[in-house]
Amino acid sequence: MSSVTSQLSSRSLSLTDLVRKSSQTERALFALIVLSLYNAFFTTNFLTVATLRVNLTQVATIVIVAVGMTFVIGSGGIDLSVGALMAISGALAPKIFTSQWGPLSNEWIGIPLAIVIPVLVAGAFGYFNGYLITKFSIQPIIATLVLFLGGRGIAKALSDGNLVEFNTPHFSYIGRGRPLGVPVQVILMIVIVIVAVWALRSTTFGRYVLAIGGNERAAELAGVPVTRVKRQIYVLCGLLAGLAGLIVVAINTSSDPYQVGDGMELDAIAAVAVGGTPLTGGHATVAGTVIGAFFIHQVRYTLISHGVPDGTTRMVIAAAILVAVLLQRPKAGWR
Amino acid sequence: MMSSRMTTRRTLLKAGAAGTALVVAGRAGFNSSLAQLPTLEKKDSYVVGFAQTDSANPWRLAETASMKQQFEEELGWTLIATDANADTAKQLADLDSIIAQQPDIIIFPPRESQALAPKVLEIRDAGIPVILIDRDVDHSIAVPGEDYITFIGSDFVDQGRRAAEWLAQATGGTAKIIQLEGTTGADPAIDRKTGFEDYIAGTFKGTPTADGAYPGMEIIASQSGNFTRDEGRQVMETLLQANPDVTAVYAHNDEMAIGAIAALEAAGRTPGEDVILVSIDGQNNALDAIVEGKLGATVESSPFFGPISYETMMRFVDGEEIEPWVKVEDRFFDINNAAEFQGQQF
Repeated sequence: MSSVTSQLSSRSLSLTDLVRKSSQTERALFALIVLSLYNAFFTTNFLTVATLRVNLTQVATIVIVAVGMTFVIGSGGIDLSVGALMAISGALAPKIFTSQWGPLSNEWIGIPLAIVIPVLVAGAFGYFNGYLITKFSIQPIIATLVLFLGGRGIAKALSDGNLVEFNTPHFSYIGRGRPLGVPVQVILMIVIVIVAVWALRSTTFGRYVLAIGGNERAAELAGVPVTRVKRQIYVLCGLLAGLAGLIVVAINTSSDPYQVGDGMELDAIAAVAVGGTPLTGGHATVAGTVIGAFFIHQVRYTLISHGVPDGTTRMVIAAAILVAVLLQRPKAGWR
Repeated sequence: MMSSRMTTRRTLLKAGAAGTALVVAGRAGFNSSLAQLPTLEKKDSYVVGFAQTDSANPWRLAETASMKQQFEEELGWTLIATDANADTAKQLADLDSIIAQQPDIIIFPPRESQALAPKVLEIRDAGIPVILIDRDVDHSIAVPGEDYITFIGSDFVDQGRRAAEWLAQATGGTAKIIQLEGTTGADPAIDRKTGFEDYIAGTFKGTPTADGAYPGMEIIASQSGNFTRDEGRQVMETLLQANPDVTAVYAHNDEMAIGAIAALEAAGRTPGEDVILVSIDGQNNALDAIVEGKLGATVESSPFFGPISYETMMRFVDGEEIEPWVKVEDRFFDINNAAEFQGQQF
């Protein structure tokens, strides 16, 4: 059997060999380049600054959430609650900056607090996830399912189940502002990605994350403070989801507890998987996640601009994710 | 927003003739001895049951408020109101508890056309007349005029036609249009698309219109924005890059139109001037956008079912023959009247 396989592969094209030897991240980058080339030729006005800006603003929230997810998945976990945390943070912010209560009615106090507090609250919910996982040894997929289901309920309660509208240009700046022509959320995305790459590669925290993902028991025996690090990871993921929630709300000048962050957990997990971080943990690549997020987003962009119906778009994205995950299987990946 | 109140009237109508044999069998299964519409005697005050599906959006809240306003505040009657929290099983249970309280009439929007149809028959057998509002049940199981009094609701196809008619006037019959569709498969989305596109092609529900076709009005792109502001905005941003020659936008609801306005502004366009927008729903924020000159017009999809439910019920009490579909008269808002109704909608 194995000799047949090796015979076949030695006779087949070197392209197959190339695919087999390349890393998942390289394959994702290749797919992104091919897709971009296709768009350059066949999608009207693709190579314009305006299109670049639209793509960057649309992908920014996915990237921000997916970076947090990269740490979670790198540690062998998963976080299904990010979309709901976005909704909570998005519902909380307008509560604060539209408040008429004393100091909050002053924009200079109300708006900074409306950014800081919701992000911290989302981080606190992240801590709750980490607490459930470490204290009671609950599987991450179940522990974060609690807030996936309940978190949106909290967001609904915060806004009485209503879509909340506001007209607060200074708050909307984090979604609509463009210092030097660059959208604010794109700047946030770039800063977060740079810090995350550094943190994963060059800090003790980063090494702990991967050590836990590789072999939690061994990491613990080697003196890694597993419980603390795991909780920190989910706090980080929560903080980033909270920030993404604020951006969505700010762009739309409205907060809809049913819609903010809806389906984001899937986009984020898909971006991480497509980018080459194995879902089993122990290895993680922030750069890969960025590539994965851009790829998934550009698939959607391409299909929408070519008039492909919504349902088909979803199927194509699902297929792209399936291919990426199949390719990820160790050794058996591609034949 | 709208997605939560999609009716499945369309599927029912299609089931029509081909399924007659099945229909008869199906109905026989549900029908007990008295397959007769209960009557309602004339009196000064009634107890009305109202089983709302959910309170998740301003539209639903406005609908509930309209019922309370009409029956409790205006008439001083008793309204037994429940809220199913978007859960079909809970609506069925809610209806059971309403039936147990023996109201004179039950008025409700069935959350699902299949699941609630047998319940309509059950209420009929309990001797309580039913009026369905804003969503209908499966006509192969329950028939208006026989099993329940009638269905009261908007004509979504006509809403689409009215949007097209206004746009044709506003653009002088020449426009390159981007259409932002509602949730794929939802009846309001299908009907609003049909009404708009047919009008441009010179027909309405199969008959030629007096205005004729508008060959200068061309839909250059059409995509679903899922009835939400966020998706409406993102889809518009994307379509705008590929179709910079767009001169008009038709959105199947106000939320997507407001998202499109944000997308146009971010791209340096002036909504209301170089791109004309028209949408459907008649929300407060759409009226604000009309007054600001950004949105051209919106066709109302009225949530104010209180008065029309009362009227229809009284016609039934008076022994009038009620048509199987009582159409809600939706208003139309543009720059001429938007300011007058600002803040009074939902």
